[in-house]
Amino acid sequence: MTIEKLIFYFFATVLVFAAVRVITARNPVHAALFLVLAFFSAAATWLLLQAEFLAIVLVLVYVGAVMVLFLFVVMMLDINIAKLREGFIRYLSVGILVGLLILVEMVLVVRTMTAPVLTAAPVSAVPNIEAIGQVLYSIYIYPFELAAVILLVAMVAAIALTMRSPRQHKYINPSLQVNVRRADRIRLVNLPAEPKD
Amino acid sequence: MIVLSDYLILSAVLFCISMAGIFINRKNLIVLLMCIELMLLAVNMNFVAFSHFNNDITGQIFVFFILTVAAAESAIGLAILVVLFRNRATINVADLDSMKG
Amino acid sequence: MSFNLLPIAPEIFLLTMACIILLVDAYLSDESRDLSYQLVQGTLLGTTSLLWLTFPTQKTFILSSLVVIDPMGALLKLFIVATVFVVFVYSRNYLKARNFFKGEYFVLGLLATLGMMTMVSAHNLLIIYLGLELLSLSLYAMVAMHRDSSQATEAAMKYFILGAIASGMLLYGMSILYGVTGSLDLSVIAQKTAQLDGNKTFFAFGLVFLMVGLAFKFGAVPFHMWVPDVYQGAPTSVTMFISTAPKLAAFAMLMRLLIEGLPAMQAEWQQMLVILSVLSMAVGNIIAIVQSNIKRMLAYSTISHVGFLLLGVLTATQTGYAAAMFYTIVYALMGLGGFGMIVLLSRAGFEAENVVDFKGLNERSPWYAFIMLILMLSMAGVPPMLGFWAKLSVLMEAVHTGYLWLALVGVILSVIGAYYYLRIIWMMYFEKPLDNEPIVTTPDMQVALSANGLIILGLGMFPQALMMACVGSIG
Repeated sequence: MTIEKLIFYFFATVLVFAAVRVITARNPVHAALFLVLAFFSAAATWLLLQAEFLAIVLVLVYVGAVMVLFLFVVMMLDINIAKLREGFIRYLSVGILVGLLILVEMVLVVRTMTAPVLTAAPVSAVPNIEAIGQVLYSIYIYPFELAAVILLVAMVAAIALTMRSPRQHKYINPSLQVNVRRADRIRLVNLPAEPKD
Repeated sequence: MIVLSDYLILSAVLFCISMAGIFINRKNLIVLLMCIELMLLAVNMNFVAFSHFNNDITGQIFVFFILTVAAAESAIGLAILVVLFRNRATINVADLDSMKG
Repeated sequence: MSFNLLPIAPEIFLLTMACIILLVDAYLSDESRDLSYQLVQGTLLGTTSLLWLTFPTQKTFILSSLVVIDPMGALLKLFIVATVFVVFVYSRNYLKARNFFKGEYFVLGLLATLGMMTMVSAHNLLIIYLGLELLSLSLYAMVAMHRDSSQATEAAMKYFILGAIASGMLLYGMSILYGVTGSLDLSVIAQKTAQLDGNKTFFAFGLVFLMVGLAFKFGAVPFHMWVPDVYQGAPTSVTMFISTAPKLAAFAMLMRLLIEGLPAMQAEWQQMLVILSVLSMAVGNIIAIVQSNIKRMLAYSTISHVGFLLLGVLTATQTGYAAAMFYTIVYALMGLGGFGMIVLLSRAGFEAENVVDFKGLNERSPWYAFIMLILMLSMAGVPPMLGFWAKLSVLMEAVHTGYLWLALVGVILSVIGAYYYLRIIWMMYFEKPLDNEPIVTTPDMQVALSANGLIILGLGMFPQALMMACVGSIG
């Protein structure tokens, strides 16, 4: 048992534990936080494979952006947790059964995939990030542009779906506010003193 | 030494947890979305492992794109969720039964 | 490094125009919104002419062989763009009456079209995936676009969840293909799988996931649960979009993945397609009978048509593929007309969603009743119509390749299926109308819908031209 293997098993265990908690957590906020833990451990296992760039991107994009979005939505929507838990136990047994069934089959097949003999992973001459960058902007420029279009779709869709038109809000033009002069707002009136009775 | 099948089994376990999660959390849309993220993580794990053991960078490129698409996907998913919540004030799947046939 | 961008000029033009329209639309007032619509339609016409001008005569690979340009792809792209054009013509008034005649709607439609075109000419797993997601993400958003309708948002959510799961399955399958062959390129995958000796278990395992994902996207039984709900819940204009053009793209995806990428696994995927095909034909035709909502009915009808389409592909012969392609194009034409009729009978505050809304259509408008008659007869596969030739060519191929039992099942089920199409014809001609509101429509819609019906009749008389085009593009 090398130290590498030990590290791998440690993070794999944390990953599986976190994943199980994601699907069983009582509160969606907890589920989201366990998902963050899952992503961190997954990133660690990827580091062992020398995929440094992706490990960092996973943490930055997922933990930094996607999970924040999830948490934001969970907090924004006022969700009745108790109601969501109804039927949880009922589906739990089915879920575990289905999960285990698929797992056994998958593991049986996956184990037959013997690793191509690669005892010492080759340390490539160029760093991981450079290797990705070299092909990403040359061979894979077309998918790169397509990914940009997908992000555009996400942006257009998210705005079109959730934005309320500004006409529904009360709106004040700041330049009008700034340009207000004293005479526009204050009128001095002379009132005769009234006798007190 | 860590071998390929270690990663493949880890990925299979993750995939099954996410499938089970989809079954268990049939009622809770937001956790359902998280299960989909877990499923994509399992796929990514496969790609990264194959990429390393085949000594080929292409797999990592694919993962890069899956991450991008998944971010876009969750943005749209959450947008639909918000619109749904505004209309129905629920994210309980059991309440989504206006269509039967 | 030099790029030959000319073959993908239509895609580049489409994307550029989509961005311009997005910008222009932001500065338009609601009254002048028609300008975006005209720009969108102009873009689609421009794309069509560019496709026509760059129509290839042979197969070429461009952009580091990520993209393949061939006659099959070009023909499918032409039909996809034309279909989207007609969908938008039909949707204009529908959207205006329901207050979501928005620029974003059309831009998302254009970007979905771009996604379909990408899928059609993909020669790499990565490009297939990106095209598919570009299409799907735009569609999810379009379904939810009618955001005050709780039914539409509910349908969008169901579509999204099941679509995302399907993508996950597809990706898992792709990861295994990549793991075994070490490449994402379909030619390399085909080459490597041919050399794969003995231990195919792992590979077949990946294929299962791939097929589940594909079946989900096609809406083939047993992965069809989302189809009826989404078709019913989505606004009719979006249902029309989902049910027509993407089927052409899905057909191309099937061809690229199975025939170009995995010819060595033919025995395995043939068996899986047989199951999907029989189940889809059976479930589609039988459950459609009990539907009272016409959008649900057409959804089950789509499922049964997908069964026939897969029947053509599973014969694994050149002529079989051509028959399947012919079927897909014919189906898209019929689907356009069918949903076009629903849009025609709907108006602000009223959706002609139920089968009974077609009662007595002959009294209200003999011409549209005639168009609907053509459409229904064609869907049922009655002889002089185009749908008949589509069914016939697919069934003939099945018989030629020794799937006689499958062809017989197909014939029996399509006879059963004819019942629910004929029921609508009966209602139109022999029953009293339920509502007597005059049918209001616009000239462009009238022309398009009439042309749509007449093309199905006319091509039914002379199906050779289209059939030969399909055979020529595949061979």
